[in-house]
Amino acid sequence: MSPNMSSNAIRLVRLLLILGVILLWELYARMVATSSFSAAPSQVLAQLWPKVLGEPNVRFAIGITLIELVVAFVMSVVFGMLIGVLVGLSDIGRRSFYPIVLLLYGIPQAILLPLFVLVFGLGPASKIAFGFTHGVFPVIVNTIAGMRNVNPLLMRGAASMGATKFEQLRYVMFPHMVTAVFTGLRLAMTMTLLGVLLAELFVSQGGIGYFTLLYAETFNPAALIALVLTLALLAIILNELVRMIEARFSRWKE
Amino acid sequence: MDFPGRDASQRVIALDDVSLDIRKGEFVCLLGPSGCGKSTLLNIIGGMLEQTSGTVTVNGTPVSSPRPNEIAYVFQESTLFPWFTVLENFRLALKFRGTEDAGWRDRAMQSLTAVGMEQFASHYPKQLSVGMKQRINLARGICVGSEVMLLDEPFAALDEQTRMVLGEDLSILLARRGKTIVFVTHSLAEAVFLADRIVVMTARPGKVKASIEVPEAHPRSPDFMLTDAFQDIRKELYGLLRDEIRQTVAAMRQARDAQA
Ligand SMILES: Nc1ncnc2c1ncn2[C@@H]1O[C@H](COP(=O)(O)OP(=O)(O)O)[C@@H](O)[C@H]1O
Ligand SMILES: [Mg+2]
Repeated sequence: MSPNMSSNAIRLVRLLLILGVILLWELYARMVATSSFSAAPSQVLAQLWPKVLGEPNVRFAIGITLIELVVAFVMSVVFGMLIGVLVGLSDIGRRSFYPIVLLLYGIPQAILLPLFVLVFGLGPASKIAFGFTHGVFPVIVNTIAGMRNVNPLLMRGAASMGATKFEQLRYVMFPHMVTAVFTGLRLAMTMTLLGVLLAELFVSQGGIGYFTLLYAETFNPAALIALVLTLALLAIILNELVRMIEARFSRWKE
Repeated sequence: MDFPGRDASQRVIALDDVSLDIRKGEFVCLLGPSGCGKSTLLNIIGGMLEQTSGTVTVNGTPVSSPRPNEIAYVFQESTLFPWFTVLENFRLALKFRGTEDAGWRDRAMQSLTAVGMEQFASHYPKQLSVGMKQRINLARGICVGSEVMLLDEPFAALDEQTRMVLGEDLSILLARRGKTIVFVTHSLAEAVFLADRIVVMTARPGKVKASIEVPEAHPRSPDFMLTDAFQDIRKELYGLLRDEIRQTVAAMRQARDAQA
């Protein structure tokens, strides 16, 4: 069997599996479940457009969440890599600072959420801040980890060819770090999304949190599921985006 | 050369009273038991390591830091950067050295052609065998055009046959260019085949034990290996080395027993 055929077969099985689950869900929702707590896929689809996504307020809320997410992610990446490189460069920096980073990283941040709202208010600032504190740690940790096991022979080779300290960083250290840093970026994307959504749901004055609460309290599961699915789809698209950029940087691994 | 170590018990005197004059255009092989300080000596000559006492001069100027314009290095393992293609690696070497000009591509291709690797210019190192990579490392060393080349067991990771072919090619390549070469090797045959002069070192702390000339013109044909002259020098080297290797092994046993 050619590799092409088998990969086609895998795709087919995967598709059938997904269709099967949707079908089961449809049957279960229509025949067994109570309509005020669950909804069938067909009903969700009917709610998705034009009801949920057609509503300007919902679209606006999703847009705000997306902007919060992007701002928090970009901040996580910029500050995370900056801090990571600065800490990773010096032995003293790594030994004194790294344990603090790991300690902070280990705290379940959800318990701090009320504090964030208190400090940053109910608007986007608190959500961005909460997304940022979720996203920045994976970037720092993976950046530092990426700097650790660079092949010393390559550094010496570069030095023997007359590379300056900056050139050694730019052409040896940074390319070496790409794999680890992207692991950090993918994690950061997931974590930032988690942080932003947690904050959004916690503060339900407006935005996504408001609508999820509204749909839940008015017993409109189809709309609720439609909104959740939209967010999940956004998350998947963003993750794929990071993966595509990573693939562009990893051609040498072939 | 005195490595202080973390405390007195870890102190290593790697080289002691080594004096060596290498003529311009000479091919010198360093031969000695492992751990006697060959790499250390090469690193000091190349300015990669600062000696604790003594001086090194190249072309009359003392060496204390890498001097890529005069000295090129080839290591035991490939130092091609895996994330760049072969050609990009050449370009980077020239850039580091500050001699990346309009003609860099032509010069890079010329050196690749000289080692028969021109069709791999846009390959990534991962796609090449160990022998091919080492060929390209040689080509890169030649391409940067420095007068002195330091090679630290460049063929040690290769199998015997690849090694012989590369050795012959190297002899031909360098005969035309008049470069000054210091070549570290474990292989007696390799040393005799390549060198104008073989410097035999003692067990640690490394000193110069003997210096043996190989009066045979370059480029050398593989037939040279079948001659009596070749075999005689090889035997002489073996005799010189045997004692030193014994001594190294004895020192290792002693160190182990002292620890136990
Ligand atoms: N940076 C270093 N610190 C301490 N000891 C070292 C260092 N580099 C080499 N040595 C020691 O110096 C001796 C000579 O090493 P080396 O020059 O690598 O030997 P060779 O290349 O001849 O096998 C060895 O015993 C080695 O352990
Ligand atoms: Mg060595």
